[in-house]
Amino acid sequence: MSIDRKSLTIGFAVIASTWASTAFAASPSVTAVLSDSQPAVGQMVQLEIKVSGAQSASVPDTIPIDGLEVHQTGTSRQFEMHNFDVTSSVTYAYTILPLRAGQFKIPPQTIRVGNTSLKTPELALNVAQGQSGGASASKPGTQSGQASVGSKLAFADLVIAKKEAYVGEMIPAEIRLGFDARARGRLQDGPDLSAQGFTTQKLQQPRENLETIGGRTYQVYTFKTALSAVRPGKFELGPVTAKASIVMPRRPSTSPRTRPRSPLDLFNLDDPFSDPFFSDPFGSMSMGERAEVPIKSESVSLNIKPLPPNAPPNFSGAVGNFTMTSDAKPKTVQVGDPITVTSTITGRGNFDRMSAPALEDERGWHKYPPSSKFKQDDDVGISGEKTFEMVLAPNEKKNAIPPLVFSYFDPVKENYATLRSDAIPITVEGNAPPSQNTAAVPPASATVGITPSPAPKPADILYQMNALGAPKSFTPIYRRAVFWIAQLGPLLLLLAFIGWKIRQRKSGDRERQRILAREQEMSRLLRELRRGDISPQVYFSNAARVVNLKTALARNVNPNSVDPETVATTFDLDEEERVRLQRLLARSDELSYSGGGNGSDKISRDEREEVLNFVESLRV
Amino acid sequence: MRILPGLSLVLWLSAAALIAQPATQFAKANQEYAAGDFKAAITDYEELVRSAADTPNLFYNLGNAYFRKKDFGHAILNYERALALDPRHPEAQANLRLARDEARALELLPNRWEQGLTFADSNQFAISAGIAFWLGVFGIAFFVFNRRRIALALAILAILISGYSIFALSELEHGKNGGGLAIVTKDNSEARIATADTANRVLVLPAGSEIQIASRRGDWIYATLPNNLRGWLPANSAEPVRM
Repeated sequence: MSIDRKSLTIGFAVIASTWASTAFAASPSVTAVLSDSQPAVGQMVQLEIKVSGAQSASVPDTIPIDGLEVHQTGTSRQFEMHNFDVTSSVTYAYTILPLRAGQFKIPPQTIRVGNTSLKTPELALNVAQGQSGGASASKPGTQSGQASVGSKLAFADLVIAKKEAYVGEMIPAEIRLGFDARARGRLQDGPDLSAQGFTTQKLQQPRENLETIGGRTYQVYTFKTALSAVRPGKFELGPVTAKASIVMPRRPSTSPRTRPRSPLDLFNLDDPFSDPFFSDPFGSMSMGERAEVPIKSESVSLNIKPLPPNAPPNFSGAVGNFTMTSDAKPKTVQVGDPITVTSTITGRGNFDRMSAPALEDERGWHKYPPSSKFKQDDDVGISGEKTFEMVLAPNEKKNAIPPLVFSYFDPVKENYATLRSDAIPITVEGNAPPSQNTAAVPPASATVGITPSPAPKPADILYQMNALGAPKSFTPIYRRAVFWIAQLGPLLLLLAFIGWKIRQRKSGDRERQRILAREQEMSRLLRELRRGDISPQVYFSNAARVVNLKTALARNVNPNSVDPETVATTFDLDEEERVRLQRLLARSDELSYSGGGNGSDKISRDEREEVLNFVESLRV
Repeated sequence: MRILPGLSLVLWLSAAALIAQPATQFAKANQEYAAGDFKAAITDYEELVRSAADTPNLFYNLGNAYFRKKDFGHAILNYERALALDPRHPEAQANLRLARDEARALELLPNRWEQGLTFADSNQFAISAGIAFWLGVFGIAFFVFNRRRIALALAILAILISGYSIFALSELEHGKNGGGLAIVTKDNSEARIATADTANRVLVLPAGSEIQIASRRGDWIYATLPNNLRGWLPANSAEPVRM
């Protein structure tokens, strides 16, 4: 088989370049997220710096901050493909160990992606005194976790960042499912988290890594989510349940089973990995069999506190830590014209319970219900920015849009906070409201046109109509059968016109053919007359015929109906020529009717030339 | 044979009664409106609409009844229907303006082509396209058989007029007041980015706002919104203008 190696190489190059161009076509961007922004001293926090639109980036190994120990712990890369649109990202994980209590700021870090420099946002970390957080259920990394996991083929952990929280506060959570690396665990169902009294964010795609716990290597799948309590009280969160299939050895039939075994003590031994199956990986391929095992974690206790009373009037349930910016477009309008006021709430909290900022003073304004969109900075939607667009229309002359106010509960400071934007200066012209209300268009769209009112607005609606009138159809005329049937009229007229024209042309062709035949006959006869080798009877007969044909062609009449007078008139003959014509015709008749024997057999040269000259001289 | 005249009379009277019935019901609904019984008037007008007596005045009067009931969404819908049947209905134009102001309804913006095509409606453009097309075809036929240059020039002119009319017709039919025009009848209807009540909102529409339906999926409609964005709305939150 001959393979065109050059074509193959070019094909691979095209595919590779297409993939590469799509994978890195988007300009890179960076986000930074903390797993918990309110840890206690000694409680580990994870910082993830995610660079989207790049496969690698240059990041600092450590971040020097007084009071915090920050170290890079790992890198993971993700590729996603949607409809041939490939996106890639790389995530750099850091652990942060708070050494003392206080408020810390993690300054923006410079990330280099090729020739581009990106900066992470500044992050705030409020470290509380004492060991308050870190409620993890049998975390493998802890002493108790080691004990419970060390002899298992699979384990499940529910890691909750807090033991105490407020109603509505977003609580980051991780579900970790681990499988002994040699058991080649495969998740069949779940994980499912029992969380009555909580709303949970949808579980994201798990992060996969290898961890060594108690001297054994586990393949650990980490699912991230966030929880939010809907009512106060003490809750048991969990357990997390899942079903997985793992490879276990077939036991020899001769080996008697002496005691029942638990699903996680598969080999009747304290340590299942002491089974010879695991010491012979190749043998296990033939001897092992897959079995489905349930996995269950411990529950976690959580104390949910109610929000304090005396909430601000415009508090709508936002819990977290936020900042707000606002803007308005356009800034010069007529009375009644729409203005789009955009307010952006950025921070960390329960964005799904967040309502739009309110106008401090709504008098003199008509307010339309706002729309919103959310851009999350992390996997579970705790951090990000929510943008509200609200359309306002001034009912009177104004010189500024009143400040926007937004209230939220800060669970760290344990009090309510109200953000207040500055008044936005605008110019409102005119007095009369316009006739049309059009929604403000986003800045990227076309400009909004306000059509001036063509007539003054009536004070009330006009009178009722007394006559019902003739029914009409909503169907456009071109979709009605009558419209297309009506087209048959001109179509038939056109066909009739074309038929008539074709017929006319055909009859014209017959006339032309007749004329052509006469011309050809005349030419032939003239040639014979010039040759002169014919008898006098034929000669004069031909000459008379040529005269008749010439006359017929000139007058467009039948040559048989031509008489001497017609010839004379047609060619405007004088007396002498008339005599010559008479003589020619008489001679022709004489020879025709008297027979060929009357007279000479041959015509004289002079006579022939005279006749020929006469015939040829006949012109209109 | 004797019963034939009698039968003819019965048939004639029945036909006359059938013709007179909508007018009678229309007059009755008008009386109810005049007496302030707008609910009864709406019921009678709606019954006439269901009997396919689609006249501009019927939709106009129905719009007025809804206006009195402060149901501006349905009022605007019926004024729009009156104008769809008779684009130059002056009373419907005036009342529609008033209803829009009352409801603070949002309007679709006509594109720049539509703005220049207000001198005729789509039916007039369809007729002019048909006439100009046939004039063009006859002109070409005359030129083919008679070789008259004036015939060719007139044919080209007529074909251009026909093409322009078809373009204008297409713009109007696919534009703001085209076949997809619908009116939001439920107040504060939320247009979303996906067919789920929990999906993010694109725009909240006051009753009477105009949308242009692009497609339907189950109980949802995908529509162009007054801010030039597109979004999904519950199908029962808007009604098409053309029935």
